Amino acid sequence: MNEDRRTLPNGVGLGLRWEFLEEVLDGPPLAVDFFEVSPENYMRRGGYYPAALERVLTRYPLVTHGLTLSLGAHAPPDADYLRELTSEVERLATPWHSDHLAFTSAGAQAFHELLPLPFTRDTARRVADRLEALSETLGRPVAVENITYYALPGPTELSEGDFLGELFERTRAGLLLDVNNVYVNAQNHGFDAEQALASFPFDRVVEVHVAGHTHTASGLILDTHGAKVIEPVLALLERALAHTGPVPVLLERDNDVPPLAELVAEVQVIRAVCERAWRAANRSVAVSTQRARADASRA
Amino acid sequence: MQAGLESALAELVLGPPVDREGLGALLSRHALGPEERAAIEGAPERFLVYRKLVRNTLRNAVGLAIPRTMARLGPLFDDYFERFLAERGPRTHYLRDVTTELLDFVAPLWADDARVPAWTHDLARHEALEIVVASLGEPVVPRELGPLDAERPLAFIEAARVVHYAFAVHRLPPSEDDRSAPLREPTALFVYRDAEHDVRYLELTPLAAAFVERLLAGESMKAALLGACAGFGTEPSVALSGTAALLSDLSARGALLGQAAAESLRGPAKTSDHRGTLREKGPP
Repeated sequence: MNEDRRTLPNGVGLGLRWEFLEEVLDGPPLAVDFFEVSPENYMRRGGYYPAALERVLTRYPLVTHGLTLSLGAHAPPDADYLRELTSEVERLATPWHSDHLAFTSAGAQAFHELLPLPFTRDTARRVADRLEALSETLGRPVAVENITYYALPGPTELSEGDFLGELFERTRAGLLLDVNNVYVNAQNHGFDAEQALASFPFDRVVEVHVAGHTHTASGLILDTHGAKVIEPVLALLERALAHTGPVPVLLERDNDVPPLAELVAEVQVIRAVCERAWRAANRSVAVSTQRARADASRA
Repeated sequence: MQAGLESALAELVLGPPVDREGLGALLSRHALGPEERAAIEGAPERFLVYRKLVRNTLRNAVGLAIPRTMARLGPLFDDYFERFLAERGPRTHYLRDVTTELLDFVAPLWADDARVPAWTHDLARHEALEIVVASLGEPVVPRELGPLDAERPLAFIEAARVVHYAFAVHRLPPSEDDRSAPLREPTALFVYRDAEHDVRYLELTPLAAAFVERLLAGESMKAALLGACAGFGTEPSVALSGTAALLSDLSARGALLGQAAAESLRGPAKTSDHRGTLREKGPP
C-alpha cells in the first residue's frame, strides 16, 4: 500500500455532489485538490452524470468511495455488483477504492444504510479476507472506513482499536480514517475520542474524512454530513494528522449542501489545520532525528 | 451469528413496528447468540435509529422519483410503502432503482384495491420513467450505417423505450397539488433521452407504436411494417408514408441512429412532442 500511496491525490478534497457538479465542470479552477465520488451514483448507467464525471476527471483527480459493498455481511459481495464496480473504477482510473466497515445488506435485501458489525475476531477475519479479494478483483489498492455506530450488536469481544489492529494484521488494505465518526461515537457512547483515536493503526491510514453532524432531541448525534465541521472534530483531525503525516483529507457534505463557495472556504479552513499538523509532524521528525544523531555521536 | 444478526436487524428495520414484547418475539425468530440478543434488547432505541435512517433514505429516493403519485395517494401510499419494505424490501445496490422495485411490487396490489384510482400505476410509471430513461445505457453506434435497406434492422439509441398506458397520464399538469384525473385513453409513448441528456416523450398512434416496438426488438423495417399492419388490419401501402415520416422524425431527434436510412424517407410528421421536466433529481 505504501508505494501506491505515492500516486494518490494529496492535499484537501471535497465530496462531489450533484448540487454543484456544473460549477465544478464549467467554473474557474477551485482550490480543491481532489474530488471523491460514490461509484454507485455513476455506474451501470448512461446519461448526463457519467459523462459529466469524465469531464471532472480531466480537471481534478478523483477517488471512489463505495456505499453498498456490504463488506462485513455474512454473504460474500454480489458478483454482478463487483463486476460493475470493477468496470467503473477502471473507467475512472481511481488510484484506490474504499468502502465501509459495515454491512448494508441482509441476504438479498439492501438497506442503503451502514449497519454496524460486532467487533469480534471472526468479523475481523471475514472483512480482512474480503478486502484482500476485493483488491485482487479491482486490480488496485483498497481501503476501509471506520463508521459511526449508534449501537454495537454484541458480543464486544474487542475494542474498536483492537478490532482494527486484528483486521489490519490480516490485510494489506488501508484505513480510511473518519475522525468525525470517532468523535460522534465517543459522544454517543460516552468515551474519550482522543484516547480512542490513539488506539487506531495510524501507519495504515491512506485517507482521512471529516464531516459535520447533527444533534437530535434525544441527545444522540447523527452522522448526517449535513453541517459544518465543528472545532472539536478539527482538533481531532489535527491530532490524527500529527500521527499519519501527509495523507489526503476529504470534506464530506451530503445534506443541506451550501453554495460551493462556502464549501471551498471550509476546505481552506481544513487545509490550514492540515498544514499546521504536518508542519508539527515534520518538526517532530526533525527533532527526533537530531536527537538520534546526537545520541549516536555521543555513543 | 452474522447471518442471524442480519436477518433480525432486517426485520427490525424493514418490518412492521414492534414494541418491547414484540421485540422479544422478533429476536426469537432469528439465530442470535445470547450476547447479540442482549445487546439489542438492552438498547432497542439505539437499534431503532437504523429503522428511521433506512426508511428515510428509501422514502426520499422514491419521493424524488414519483412525487405526484405520492401526493395523490397520501397516507394510502405510506401503507403500500410499508408493505413493500416488510414483504419484499429493496434488493438493488442502486438507490435510483428502488422505485422500480416498489412499482413492480405494488402493481398487482393497486389493481385489486378500489381505493387506488385505476390510473395511479400509469402515473407512477410515467413519473419514474424520467429517472429510468435518464439512466439508460449510452448509444450503441451501429457498425454499419449504410443506405436504406428495408430488409435490415435499424439501430436506435439505448435510451429509448415504447411505453403503454391505459390513461393519458402524460397530459396531467406537472404540479404536485393537481388532483385532476387523466382521461381513460390508450396511450403509447416513445420515450428517449436527447443529446442534452433530457428525457423526451413522443406520443405515438397504436400502429406507430407497434411498428417502433418491432424495430426496437430488432426486426427489419419491412418485417416491422408488415407485422404492425397485420396486427391492425391496415394495408402496408396506406401506412408507408406515415411510418416513413416517423422514422425521419426519430432520426432528426437523434433517437434513430440509422440516419442515412431514415433520411431517405419522406412524409409529414404525425406525432406530438412532450419534453420531460426533469433531468434527474437528487442522489440516484
